[in-house]
Amino acid sequence: MPNYALTAGRTRSARMDLPIEALVTVTELGLAQRPGLSPEQRTILDAAAEPLSLAEIGSLLGVPIGVARVLVGDLAADDYLAVHLPLVGTDGRPRRELLERLLDGLRAR
Amino acid sequence: MDSAPAERAPAPAAARDGLLPLKILVSGGFGVGKTTLVRSLSEVAPLSTEEGMTSLSDGVDDTRVVPGKSTTTVAMDFGRITVDDRIVLYLFGTPGQSRFWFMWDELARGAVGAVILVDLRRIGDCFAAIDYFENRGLPFVVAVNDFPGTAGVDDDTVRDALALPADAPLTRVDARDGGSCTAALVTLVEYALARSG
Repeated sequence: MPNYALTAGRTRSARMDLPIEALVTVTELGLAQRPGLSPEQRTILDAAAEPLSLAEIGSLLGVPIGVARVLVGDLAADDYLAVHLPLVGTDGRPRRELLERLLDGLRAR
Repeated sequence: MDSAPAERAPAPAAARDGLLPLKILVSGGFGVGKTTLVRSLSEVAPLSTEEGMTSLSDGVDDTRVVPGKSTTTVAMDFGRITVDDRIVLYLFGTPGQSRFWFMWDELARGAVGAVILVDLRRIGDCFAAIDYFENRGLPFVVAVNDFPGTAGVDDDTVRDALALPADAPLTRVDARDGGSCTAALVTLVEYALARSG
């Protein structure tokens, strides 16, 4: 199926513009509604049993990031997916406490 | 104290509420080892994704100078490191050429910073990446990938050749070795922290 058919020709989700590293996890509502969804949507919800980024979903479906963004944005807008966004300060950079946790984690490897 | 604190029961649902993604970009010239570095660091088999730029690069990259590499990486490689119970770090290997800046802007937004890989045999290939991150005030570490025959060049010579700011960190890596690549990430995050004031 061509990519434009997956997204009904849209290149943006009307409701969300997610960064490539945004994490998603499936919600209870998503699990309940799963049977009525398209194969691509079901694949996303199944994979999102564990936290998964937009980039990983694009790779999983074999579609460009822009297509994954629309598919995930729609599922998130319907509350079938929970979105976990990066935490940035007013300067647009990751918050200091986050960098400190990252440093601790990397040093422990 | 006559009793140890009770062990916390696993609470996956609660932990998930606090999930936080972070990203670090891996840049540098064509064939410098970006894919190798991402592979060395990632806990999952490195994946690739597209930003819809395939047609832009067809026939443009010079593959003659890099033995054994027949085509450029138009898809973007990425890897994943689960840092702790809340933080997941993504590494994105970004095409180093300036014609891809349109996608760097989106990738760089909110990034911790960048590892810029350098091959001393083709040192000019990283200039575009250094310019990009320097101009936008994004933290970066220059990581010299230790290819054969490049060990004799000292750091001062490299700094001069790259016109690196005095405070910009410079390190050496073997992109095939996860330990040295992790050390480069540590250097980058330390630098980002020092600059965050």
